[in-house]
Amino acid sequence: MPVSLEQEGALSLIRLQGAIDIGCAEELKGLLVQGLKTGSEVRVRLAEATDLDVTAVELLWAARREAKASSVGFAFEGQAPEPVSAALAEAGLENFTATGETK
Amino acid sequence: MSNAVNADQFKQSFREEAREILVDLEAALLELNENRGDIELVGRVFRALHTIKGSGAMFGFEDLAAFTHNLENAFDEVRNGRLVVSSELVDLTLSALDQIRTMLEEGAAGAPAADSAACAAILAQVRRLTGIPGGRQTEKKTAAPAADATEGKMFEWHIRFAPGPDMMRCGANPLLLLRELRELGGLSVKASMAAIPPLAELDPERCYISWEMVLATAVERDAVRDVFIFVEDSCELTIEPAPGPASSPEQSGNESALECEADRTARALKETRTLQGGRRSYDALDNASSLRVPAAKLDQFVNLVGELVTVQARLAELSARCGDPEIASVAEEVERLTSSLRENSMNIRMMPIRATFEKFRRLVHDLARDLDKDVELTMEGVDTELDKTVIDQLGDPLMHLIRNSMDHGIESSTVRTARGKRTTAAIHLSARHSGASVLIGVSDDGNGIDAEAVRLRAIDKGLVASGAQLTEAETYALIFQPGFSTARTVTDVSGRGVGMDVVRQRVDSLRGSIDVTSKPGLGTSVTLRLPLTLAIIDGLLVSLGDARFVLPLANILECIELTRADIESANGKHMANVRGEIVPYIRLREHFSIRTPRPEIEQIMVVQTEGGRYGFVVDQVLGNCQTVIKNLGRFYRHVQLVSGATILGNGTVALILDPERLVQDAVRAISHSARGRPAEAALRAGGREGKAAAQTDS
Repeated sequence: MPVSLEQEGALSLIRLQGAIDIGCAEELKGLLVQGLKTGSEVRVRLAEATDLDVTAVELLWAARREAKASSVGFAFEGQAPEPVSAALAEAGLENFTATGETK
Repeated sequence: MSNAVNADQFKQSFREEAREILVDLEAALLELNENRGDIELVGRVFRALHTIKGSGAMFGFEDLAAFTHNLENAFDEVRNGRLVVSSELVDLTLSALDQIRTMLEEGAAGAPAADSAACAAILAQVRRLTGIPGGRQTEKKTAAPAADATEGKMFEWHIRFAPGPDMMRCGANPLLLLRELRELGGLSVKASMAAIPPLAELDPERCYISWEMVLATAVERDAVRDVFIFVEDSCELTIEPAPGPASSPEQSGNESALECEADRTARALKETRTLQGGRRSYDALDNASSLRVPAAKLDQFVNLVGELVTVQARLAELSARCGDPEIASVAEEVERLTSSLRENSMNIRMMPIRATFEKFRRLVHDLARDLDKDVELTMEGVDTELDKTVIDQLGDPLMHLIRNSMDHGIESSTVRTARGKRTTAAIHLSARHSGASVLIGVSDDGNGIDAEAVRLRAIDKGLVASGAQLTEAETYALIFQPGFSTARTVTDVSGRGVGMDVVRQRVDSLRGSIDVTSKPGLGTSVTLRLPLTLAIIDGLLVSLGDARFVLPLANILECIELTRADIESANGKHMANVRGEIVPYIRLREHFSIRTPRPEIEQIMVVQTEGGRYGFVVDQVLGNCQTVIKNLGRFYRHVQLVSGATILGNGTVALILDPERLVQDAVRAISHSARGRPAEAALRAGGREGKAAAQTDS
């Protein structure tokens, strides 16, 4: 399962594993919506991701923006693996996962 | 499911684009072989390989991309002056193109797999030439873009790229395009997230991000555009010269934009750019657009127009019968619109013959090498347009004619030199319009046809009687008989007597004709006369007794009356005086054995044929008609005088006459009835002494 949601109290932990691409975009959207709705904090774990495509980036971007607007915490947990950060840098988004928590 | 369909469509689109690139690439390679120092050509070859490689990887053709990468390396070495263009490199690359073509089609039903052993052998030889071991990537251009600079010129391009909303669904990945750009030089990238909607409204499979980039590079704008060649139709793309050092993507100041100084080299290069005088306006290019449509859809469209034309003819007939002016007005309007629609739809199908001709450069190159002959291919009339259906059928006949010419017609360099001829032999391909036909010529300056050898061989094979007297045209026609060959030995190229038979069959199926002229020791010229289109033509409807016929309007010059007094004043000869010019005519009533009484005044349709002006005598001219050409079917495929049939407004069928064949048939009839007399020459002369040889009025 490349995307999954674990609810730990008020924390919604979204785990991304392997290549996160258009094939799981619909599912990721559902989890992000659910996570934002149920928790007061959303964390996205990238450590096991090997790639993020444009659809994944868009969804995470939109979720982070929504979190900020609704005062929900949003953060990327841990360091993004090298292939992911390289792909983001190539796309002009090198700071995307390094912006820390927003609230 | 829909993603898979879209991805397949996108792959298909890549295949089609790549096929075109390969045609251009092959032409560039052959040209490069002739002009080995031409840097422009080297760049053209490199860019084509680069595009195929990059786009191939993007659309899932990884093997193709990896294979092409090695060739790209080789031409990068050539660009950088580390490798010289040699015939070995050109031949290797041409062989590689054949493998790439096969790789492109892999996965399609019935398509063979690429020959992995041949691919490996090609790559081994390419690596031997370049000295670059397998798997090693060419040094990234980002590392030293200045090294690629042609004439020291550097450019800075401001690129705005907004992928189409369905790009991800089509299986494409915009990030790979950015990676491609990075290979061209120093790239700074800014992603714009402004178009991303609220999460609840966001279509998770859609691409909302767009990019603004500055690329500092040695390559021209076209090379930058090439990176986007497969997605350009479905994205927003502008590539403009960057205005100045402050031209990096503007800071938007809000969180919807992030900037990455991905490559600091770009900034350094801004200092050294030399854009003065190098800027060009590309507005026209930006506005230019074209649409790729599957041929099957176009065929369907033209078929529907054909049906519409038939229905319109019925409406016109109905309107004429009922005599209602209001219906007549509508019928006229429908006719006008149908005519315009027909013309436009037919124009869409018309294609220049250039691509068909160009692909024979490779054939001539390969055959010249295999046969050890020095041959130059020249072309004329490459922009001549004809119907796609006709063009599709032309490849095989032309190939066989060229192979035959190269193998049998053209002498070896030694023989040519001994005969005082230019060492380099010539094969000339030509195309031109002639009325409703197009004339495709294949000529060479070789041996010419030995008419006596042909005659003897024909007698030997029992095709003609030993005492038969044949005209030159009849003798040359024998070479198109199945299994006929005067070659003493069968080679890989020709000699089995199959090729020319294929030519005749294909030309027959197109309702065309073949004309051969040859001069011993000087060369041979074969002309294929083919109809411009096989779909819909403008025709003139005429009557002969109760029957209706259509003559192609493009052949008709004028229509004059033929009275009994005219016939008598011509002393029974089939000649008409058209404003002082004597025009021989053919009485179609007699030619078709129509026995109903003829009218007092008949009509002569004066037509222009290759053999000159002729008249066709008909009972009545009924008027113009848009003619949907219907095939006569297998049973009537040997009927030579008609090029098809059409359905008239009243539901009856009219045969479409072929003026060229009618004239040829009449000439042949006269020639046979008066063997030994210069009948053909007489008819062709359109008068003078030969007129006596023309038919006498019965």
